[in-house]
Amino acid sequence: MGKYFDFERFIDTIPKIIPQLSVTFSIVLVSMIVGTVLAIAVAVLRIQRIPVLHQILGIYISFMRGTPLLVQMMVVYYGLPLLVQGLFGININTWSTIIFVDIAFILNEGAFLGEIFRSAILSIPPIQSEAGYSIGMTRLQTFTRIVLPQTIRIIIPSYGVDLIGVFQNTSLVFTIGGVLDIMGKAKTLGTATGHALEAYLVVALIFIILSLILRFLFFLINQKLQYERR
Amino acid sequence: MIEITHLKKSFGKQEVLKDVSFKIQKGQVVTILGPSGSGKTTFLRCINFLERAEEGELRIGDTRINLRKASRKEILNVRRRTAFVFQNYGLFYHKTALQNVMEGLVVVQKIPKDEARKRAEAALEWVGLSNRKDFYPSQLSGGQQQRVGIARAVALNPEVILFDEPTSALDPEWVGETLDVIKKVAKKGITMIIVTHEMSFAEEVSDKVVFMDGGSVVEEGTPKEIFTNPKEERTKKFLARIIPQDMYYI
Ligand SMILES: Nc1ncnc2c1ncn2[C@@H]1O[C@H](COP(=O)(O)OP(=O)(O)O)[C@@H](O)[C@H]1O
Ligand SMILES: [Mg+2]
Repeated sequence: MGKYFDFERFIDTIPKIIPQLSVTFSIVLVSMIVGTVLAIAVAVLRIQRIPVLHQILGIYISFMRGTPLLVQMMVVYYGLPLLVQGLFGININTWSTIIFVDIAFILNEGAFLGEIFRSAILSIPPIQSEAGYSIGMTRLQTFTRIVLPQTIRIIIPSYGVDLIGVFQNTSLVFTIGGVLDIMGKAKTLGTATGHALEAYLVVALIFIILSLILRFLFFLINQKLQYERR
Repeated sequence: MIEITHLKKSFGKQEVLKDVSFKIQKGQVVTILGPSGSGKTTFLRCINFLERAEEGELRIGDTRINLRKASRKEILNVRRRTAFVFQNYGLFYHKTALQNVMEGLVVVQKIPKDEARKRAEAALEWVGLSNRKDFYPSQLSGGQQQRVGIARAVALNPEVILFDEPTSALDPEWVGETLDVIKKVAKKGITMIIVTHEMSFAEEVSDKVVFMDGGSVVEEGTPKEIFTNPKEERTKKFLARIIPQDMYYI
């Protein structure tokens, strides 16, 4: 086994792991973009309290918030092909694993961000919408031009926290069909060489740096978007 | 001309408007007086469909609209021909004074941006706020915010402007300048319905004064009739309570 920690090996491991960041980034990017759109839809529909749909969305959110992401990924990975086969007779088993991972992340974000959006939208004083209606804007115009921009300003800090959380959650995806994100790569390197510690430390370092950068970035965005400077 | 007939509105079991009818000629200024809770705000909100009435008809120009059953299209039509000045200003927090005035011009009236900006700047100048056009609402005093609200309403060139206690939320020091701007709007000949507690202002600008109490119109008449010679006991009581004695000499 040799030394537990070897600095040279640590340095050598870095360039082997860095390229896999693209996998990590792609999961984060897709799940944040599509997840945000889904979240806004979920929030708006929840606020409208449409019978039946409201209950269905309630169950969806409880499930997403009440079960571990790992379980959700399993359910999507093994359950979705059966469901699609049963409903539409289409075989999606051939899809690449990463798609199932993306779907699980998107559904998870739709619920978590959905609740963040919902409470932020509800915190906008009704007079803001009423003022929009009173000048003759449609409901859609009022939502997209008045309510949503104000909502986004409110949620920036929570959005940043959520994004950092999503980054960290990507460390789970290796468990599903061996997706090679940075964590997956570290694990395979460890298995191949018998030295896992250096690789895991590299991964830890990457996560720390990324979350510091993101925190700083969101701090800046938040500063810039403050229009209430009384 | 705008006419509302047999307007009824309840919140739960509480009847807030009991068969209110109301008429205003083009270019007229009508003020609505009445104790708090008498349904004045609800009345204005029903006209602009911010509340949905249970019964009633609205006539605006040649258009007749059922206040209960109005379709989305009819509602938009009414809102595009009217403007609302809120007690708490209702400025868009995330937009500057100029953007607040431009919003309706660009988004609703589809006026090209350059033209809209010119009009919005002119409207802000008209209310004396040229030097505040790039300020956000949070950077403006209450009086300035309300003047932006009035500029936003006037710039849309509506057939009628509804004012809901436009100075009630203001510190006393800002009331005067805001009332002056509203008087300026009146001089332009724009049709206005104003809910207010400012009696001498009401007396000065109104063509007609309506006194509401308990969800009904109790009495209406010229300012002179209402202020110096009210007929109904409830009107007399209300005025005695709200007007300091020396006001009678104005
Ligand atoms: N959204 C609402 N829900 C329930 N009750 C309301 C609502 N808005 C107004 N009311 C009630 O209706 C009555 C009339 O209110 P309002 O129109 O605001 O009167 P005013 O403007 O003359 O003070 C009051 O008793 C008030 O409590
Ligand atoms: Mg009121």
